[in-house]
Amino acid sequence: MSNTLRPYLNAVRATLTTALTLDNFASQMVERHNKPEVEARTSPEVLLQPLIVSRNESERVLIEPSVNSLRLSIAIKQADEIEKILCHKFTRFMMMRAEGFVILRRKPLPGYDISFLITNFHSESMLKHKLVDFIIQFMEDVDKEISEMKLSLNARARIVAESYLATFV
Amino acid sequence: MILLESHSVIIHDVLTDRFEKPSRADIQFVDYDNVRFHLSTPQSKAQVLLSMGIQCWPDLVKFGAREHLQQQYAGLLLGEAETEPEYNVSLLIDLEKLPATPEEQTELINQISLLKATAMSAPFLSAFAEQATLQANYKEPAGAQQMDLQPSEHKGELKVVRYREEEAIYIQASHDHVTIIFSTVFKEETDRVYGRVFLQEFVDARQLQSLQSAPQVTYSNREPPLEIRHIPGLKTGEDWGYVTFILFPRHFANPTKALSTINRIQLFRDYLHYHIKCSKAYMHSRMRYRVAEFLKILNRAKPEVAHAERKTASGRTFRTR
Repeated sequence: MSNTLRPYLNAVRATLTTALTLDNFASQMVERHNKPEVEARTSPEVLLQPLIVSRNESERVLIEPSVNSLRLSIAIKQADEIEKILCHKFTRFMMMRAEGFVILRRKPLPGYDISFLITNFHSESMLKHKLVDFIIQFMEDVDKEISEMKLSLNARARIVAESYLATFV
Repeated sequence: MILLESHSVIIHDVLTDRFEKPSRADIQFVDYDNVRFHLSTPQSKAQVLLSMGIQCWPDLVKFGAREHLQQQYAGLLLGEAETEPEYNVSLLIDLEKLPATPEEQTELINQISLLKATAMSAPFLSAFAEQATLQANYKEPAGAQQMDLQPSEHKGELKVVRYREEEAIYIQASHDHVTIIFSTVFKEETDRVYGRVFLQEFVDARQLQSLQSAPQVTYSNREPPLEIRHIPGLKTGEDWGYVTFILFPRHFANPTKALSTINRIQLFRDYLHYHIKCSKAYMHSRMRYRVAEFLKILNRAKPEVAHAERKTASGRTFRTR
């Protein structure tokens, strides 16, 4: 792991652990409704200060806490056209399976590649430190996966080209 | 399977079967580049009629495809009047007049299953012949000025084969090489990006020591290469790619070599797109696996609920509904 990735992930982990103090909080606007306040945005007094942890220009994490929910958006590194395509495909693939990933948001926030929404119900039914582990693991693996896919594409292209041209020799 | 086969497996299998035991057939099938086949027994079990419909037939006829087929399939090829309607070429195979030995029969089957490749090879063969005459007539120019004066004299006719709706092969002979240009369209953004990676590798692969004698490959997207830039109606844009192969006389020195070169090169477009699709499928399966792994990690966050079986005092169990 490169030496800038470790502090970045540590900062995200610390921020996330601190922000994940969620309580059951019913809507103040509609009776007998309980909505994630960070999404509903109906009462500004329950929203906390959003925070951006950024590793460089293209890689950053936006954490928006509120009293009963937390929204986390990740911008993934995309150095070139291939990585952009692979990243888009991969995040789209995941978001189409958001049913399975209970905390995954179906659409990312504009400017980010993937968003998670953690409500107090999630943090009650799941272990908080494991949730944080999942997010960190995801951030680590997604970069690795994309660069591996890119390498495998290049390797395949090379083999394909060589075996085709070798038939002419 | 890395390389694609140039013969039609369906024709090969069906004919092998029919040669052993004649029976009725009415099969319609397709090959790459919108080529349609129809294999039937219209009159009797012993008379197998194989028809092929090929989109670029008008182009191929111009370059002597019919004569070439006549030569290759002497005695089998039906005249234009007898060709099955809606198809371009028909072969009639009489199962009662087959060659005697099994080796000759296999040879015949192989030859027939290469029907599409043979039809498509006509423009390539005529370009190779043209190159030979150009080379024979070519004299080293006395001075550089003379070459400037008549630059186009040593070029053969530009042959265009529109083998798909929008895509074409351009073939031009010159006194020391034959240029083959493919135009290809990438319908999707992903295909375009993958295609660029693949084509770049084709260009780079030639730097390998072992592939020094392979044909030279160049590619350009957006702008068509200079050889064909004067043709009206060429598509330019992000989605278009132009791939140029330069074949030197050593690639078609003898008929066997020429044949294998032709069979290989006419499948280039299919080969490229096939591997682009394969890569996409591979990425997809990889993502599926990775997403399953992520799901496992997330599920670890859920605490395990202890399931102790609850019983009444008399020993009966509850059933949860």
